[in-house]
Amino acid sequence: MAKIEFRNVVKRFGAVEVIPDLNLVIEDGEFVALLGPSGCGKSTSLFMLAGIYVPSGGELLFDGHVVNEVETRDRNVGVVFQSYALYPHMSVRDNILFPLRFKKTPRDEALARVTAAADLVRVAELLDRRPSELSGGQQQRVALARALVKEPQLLLLDEPLSNLDASLRLSMRTEIKSLHAQLGVTTVLVTHDQIEATTMADRIICMRAGRIEQVGTPDDLYLRPSSLFVAGFIGSPPINLVAGEAEDGMVTVNGARFPVEGASGSLTVGLRPEHLRIGDTGFAGRIAQIEPMGREILYVVETGMGAVRVLEQGSSAGHSTGEQVKIGFLSENSLVFETERQKLIAGAHVREPV
Amino acid sequence: MAAQAINTASTAAFDRAADWDALAVRARAVRRTKAVVLYAFLIAVSLPIILPYFWLVTIAFSARAGVAETAVLWRSMAVIMPVVVAFWLTVALAQSRRQSWIGIAAVAAIGVFAFALLVGPDLHLGNFIFLWEPDFASVVRSRIGEVKGAVQFPNVWHAFANSILIAGAQTAIVVTVASLAAYYLSRFQFPGRSSMLRSLLVLHAFPVLTLIVPMFLMLYWIGLLDTLFGVILVLVAFELPFAIFIMKGFFDAVPWDIEMSALTDGASRRQAFVSVVLPQVRNGILAIAVFTFIRGWEEYIFVFTFLIRNSNWTMSLYMYWVRDDVMGVDYGVVSAVGVFYLVPSLILYMAAQRYLMQMSIGGVKG
Repeated sequence: MAKIEFRNVVKRFGAVEVIPDLNLVIEDGEFVALLGPSGCGKSTSLFMLAGIYVPSGGELLFDGHVVNEVETRDRNVGVVFQSYALYPHMSVRDNILFPLRFKKTPRDEALARVTAAADLVRVAELLDRRPSELSGGQQQRVALARALVKEPQLLLLDEPLSNLDASLRLSMRTEIKSLHAQLGVTTVLVTHDQIEATTMADRIICMRAGRIEQVGTPDDLYLRPSSLFVAGFIGSPPINLVAGEAEDGMVTVNGARFPVEGASGSLTVGLRPEHLRIGDTGFAGRIAQIEPMGREILYVVETGMGAVRVLEQGSSAGHSTGEQVKIGFLSENSLVFETERQKLIAGAHVREPV
Repeated sequence: MAAQAINTASTAAFDRAADWDALAVRARAVRRTKAVVLYAFLIAVSLPIILPYFWLVTIAFSARAGVAETAVLWRSMAVIMPVVVAFWLTVALAQSRRQSWIGIAAVAAIGVFAFALLVGPDLHLGNFIFLWEPDFASVVRSRIGEVKGAVQFPNVWHAFANSILIAGAQTAIVVTVASLAAYYLSRFQFPGRSSMLRSLLVLHAFPVLTLIVPMFLMLYWIGLLDTLFGVILVLVAFELPFAIFIMKGFFDAVPWDIEMSALTDGASRRQAFVSVVLPQVRNGILAIAVFTFIRGWEEYIFVFTFLIRNSNWTMSLYMYWVRDDVMGVDYGVVSAVGVFYLVPSLILYMAAQRYLMQMSIGGVKG
């Protein structure tokens, strides 16, 4: 178990600065997610934690000790790679045994630990197979067992679910989370999938272009995204972002006018599809498309402010394509951003249109 | 009006249905003709390639009095060709696996019987005299009454051992150096990497004969002229670029992930290379090993130039001197030496065929 700290960490590849200045503390036993689009520096950060990349500047600390120069093999870090990276020429048993080979663990103890790790992720009956004879989900479990068998002080998961099919992803999510609860090992998950991050992690570090955009619990990021980027990245279907101009307590959006409190100037208003409802009051629009999603129905409504997505509960559509409707929302759920700085204006809300 | 239209439509459909049978017949005929023409062509082309080998073997096992006869060749062809065709037909016509096994066994039995009857009496091992008689040249010459002037041959097993030594040592060095060099080229970025990759290919483009005089002088100065070690060094130098290039392709195909994974599992860079990366390129190593071994086995130009004493002769030099000394006197012995020389590389090729097939050369990535 370890407390991890990034202090002004810089990473350059040649002339390209991938991470300009990273400051972050991960508490002992925490499960955090590094979330961001590809190329945002999240994998680079992960590889620095693993010791595969050496930081170009700043300090990386494990439990208060600078580990910048410490070799990968001395860090006691377990990694699950996106491709699982199982050794194709070894049986599952030898794969899980591999990390213990370098720790000079006595043979009997090593085999007992392999069995224990295999039991933990339920691959005990697969020990004699080759990785090529396993399904994706089984390979994933073996990779987890291999990462856990050496009792790492830090577990790194690099897009662990992206090669699994949807239903398997759901169950692995639950399993990884319960494994973490059981073992209490500090865990860092790298993902570009916001659902993976919000469902599994205690805290999410949302990254963009090598910088941390926001750190917080899944609720924080969903309810109070600090920037337009985070607001757009978290939530599915994605948030509706409409541009407007605020003046004298009113915001004008493409002809429609809403009362606004606490803000002025050029604004971007964020309204989540699930906070909008089709009703008697609100701004007018015409339903352009209906997308049933099983438990919910997504309406794409053409309004004066452009296409707006509305998510309604229920499995049968109460409206039909082409229908003229009015869309209302709850003002406490509206998010108001400064367009220029793309930052959330704390405490500002737009009111329902009159 | 409408009824009439439907009528016409159905007639049209019927016409087309009738056409389909004709089309199928024609397609079948075309397919068969093509197959026949193709097989005939392939047989015609491969005969001149197969026939000399076959002749070599028949002479080696059947020639008496040193004359290269064709009678045994034609007789054995007369047995073998029908047997091959019969095998082919049995497999093609058999209705079940059981039938085809019975058919093959029957054809094989008839073939062996016919071979024993028509060719058997002519076969003998007398031409392999060199295997047990080091001074076979004098013996062969004395048969035609010419006693003097025979070349002093070393024991053939000595030449055989020299060849094995040259090919084996060369293979060991090339495989070791090429694996390490290719791994470095594949995984590490260093100044001059891409120009080095390009020069690897250029090096291979040199006709080796152009370098033979400087090589000779260099070996002479170093003091390695007329030693096996000198030849091994020269061969290694010429084989390495190609081997490195092929091995680089194999290393490129090994994902970075498993190597990084090995590092995070506590392996050092060297341990990761040995226990995780090398096993992935096993086929590549086998392929270059076989190619390099066979290259060393068949080497002629360098051993001919750089080796002088007959205790340093390899099989190719032995073959050369046999041809030089006994040719015109006894073709049977020459052929027998040829067969003896051919067998090891043939066995090696057949054993390693599976791995050689997998060898592919990746593109140059800078």
